[in-house]
Amino acid sequence: MPKKLFIFSLLAFMAAAAHAVDGDALLREVDRNLEPPSYEMYRKLINVEPDGRKKEFILYMVRKGNEKVAGVFLSPASDKGRGMLRLGDNMWLYIPNVGKPIRITSLQSATGGVFNNADILKIDFGAEYAVEKMEEQGDEHVLHVKAKNKTVAYDRLNIWVDKEQKLPVKLECLTEKGMLIKTLYYKEIKDFGDGIVRPSVIETDSPLYKGYKSVMIFSKIKKRDLKDEVFTLTFMSKVDTLR
Amino acid sequence: MSRRSFFLGFLFCLAVVPGLVTPGAAEDYSFDVSETETKPYSLGGYAEFRPVLIDQARGTAFYKLKLYNRAKTWTTEEYNSKLQLEESYQRGISKLYLRANADLNNTYQGWNSDLQIYEGYLSVKPSQSTDIIAGKKEMRWGKGYAWNPAALVDRPKNPDDPELALEGYAVLTADYTKSFDGRLKTASLTPVLLPVYDNLNNTFGSLNHLDLAVKAYFLFYDTDIDLLYRAKGSKPAAYGADFSRNISTNFEVHGEAALIAENPQSITDKNGNTAKKVFDAKSWLLGLRYQTEKDATYIAEYYHNGSGFSEGAMTDYFSFVDTAYASYIGTGNAALMQKAANLGNSGYGAVNPMRNYVYLRVTQQEPFNILYFTPALTTIANVDDKSFSISPEITWTRITNFELRFKAMFLAGPAGTEFGEKAGNDRYELRCRYYF
Repeated sequence: MPKKLFIFSLLAFMAAAAHAVDGDALLREVDRNLEPPSYEMYRKLINVEPDGRKKEFILYMVRKGNEKVAGVFLSPASDKGRGMLRLGDNMWLYIPNVGKPIRITSLQSATGGVFNNADILKIDFGAEYAVEKMEEQGDEHVLHVKAKNKTVAYDRLNIWVDKEQKLPVKLECLTEKGMLIKTLYYKEIKDFGDGIVRPSVIETDSPLYKGYKSVMIFSKIKKRDLKDEVFTLTFMSKVDTLR
Repeated sequence: MSRRSFFLGFLFCLAVVPGLVTPGAAEDYSFDVSETETKPYSLGGYAEFRPVLIDQARGTAFYKLKLYNRAKTWTTEEYNSKLQLEESYQRGISKLYLRANADLNNTYQGWNSDLQIYEGYLSVKPSQSTDIIAGKKEMRWGKGYAWNPAALVDRPKNPDDPELALEGYAVLTADYTKSFDGRLKTASLTPVLLPVYDNLNNTFGSLNHLDLAVKAYFLFYDTDIDLLYRAKGSKPAAYGADFSRNISTNFEVHGEAALIAENPQSITDKNGNTAKKVFDAKSWLLGLRYQTEKDATYIAEYYHNGSGFSEGAMTDYFSFVDTAYASYIGTGNAALMQKAANLGNSGYGAVNPMRNYVYLRVTQQEPFNILYFTPALTTIANVDDKSFSISPEITWTRITNFELRFKAMFLAGPAGTEFGEKAGNDRYELRCRYYF
């Protein structure tokens, strides 16, 4: 009897392990389909109010690997020149008037609206989260992932992934206790060239901001090799010169 | 009459707002590629109108100094307007940058105008690691929000509005930055040459010196660390250090320390006899920034100003102002008042001239789900004499490129204390700013 129990436990453990590996592999594939490891891109962020009024921001962003992301606001005029930098878990905001980088936290929002700094300076899901459970819902896998450490903005994510395209369709951001913070909807798949085919629009809404939504539109995503020194405090005011 | 004029200014600001509101079209998420085009030349900036109403604190030392020759001035009003232009031209590895500031103000002293180049420099980047800059530039050293004791080559900022741009000094400087893998992620070196002559940087310190300062920056164990040095020249030698680190996703700590060797200070006794003291001034600051789950941000700082005046020295100064004022009332001779005013300009009248302060600012982002609406409450307290200021404000940025801020400031403290002796009791300010 103990022998049977041992074999059963071992099989169950191996099945669970195989399952987790599949989930993490799928998460890595989703990451690569969304963005090359090093890139430059433009993003438009639109905050939409319940009455339809909008406020728009345009950002130029660069990334190198899973540690380094930098961006600069190109418009509106009130935000032009603001820079953002992420180095691992460290984040800074550069405001031209203030003239020096200030440390910020991932939960703050540089633009107001539903997107926060972690959403804007996002790195690979697989770098920050591990798959706990994977299930199937029609044409989609649902990945239930958990943060690898406490420095991440959201403790848990539920990611709906299209089985065929291996791209996210919907993503829920949750607290550790499972409270929904926001939902992201990935839309309008577009060919950006150089093998990059991915959703070009992300919409988000939040029960914390009832009636409001924010939209992120992607443009000109290109693979680009960048020097490490681009991702430093001294370069924050100069990111615009990379364009 | 003055209150009516202030509110007319207030109404003027509000009147231009509806004209700037643009109704949005639903579900129009276009991203025109032309919006991302690069241009070598750029011009931007902002225009600002800022009416201010001040209820004067009659009988206080700084009221006497400011308004002793203006009978029965209980309330003063100001109509301040500002145009700040930012221009840049990029060609290859070179960039020309200019930030010019023009002020036109109407205050109790009448009309006055001022045009200054805040920054104007040529930057040459031979590589992404190196930037060589020649011209007028703000260095902005230090990690503190309200105060920067380690800002060894900057003008002091105003803790009541620490995010305002300041005038820089003409310098020759460079940044050399190197990135690494491992615990030390970044190191950079910034040497600064600052000439102080009759027509160049003549407000920095004593004339006819070529000052040298250096900053070394490290991102080490996820902590920003700066080591700072200013060689003896037109100012005494100074040594500084600062740090900043995120403890968690919503909690940051920072600090600064500076030692000014052989710092000179002019002090007065209650009769106006001045003497010069020279001592090593040790200043430091510790601060934090904390964000709650409900999007309230707390910035708290404790500042020890080693070159500040003691409680006794300030009491002597206030007594001297009283003596000078009594002399003016009795004889009509303003010589002592002028001497007291000059001492005020040399340190006693600084924004925070004493030794120990606490700063607390609480900002609630978008309460009640009202986007772009940010109320804040700021207090600066003098730990030594227990006087303080408290400033509630609301900022509204709903309209693209338009910012509206209403701010009040109330001072509290008995006679003989820093905030109890300032000229304005209550202050109400509306700032309408349009970016272009």
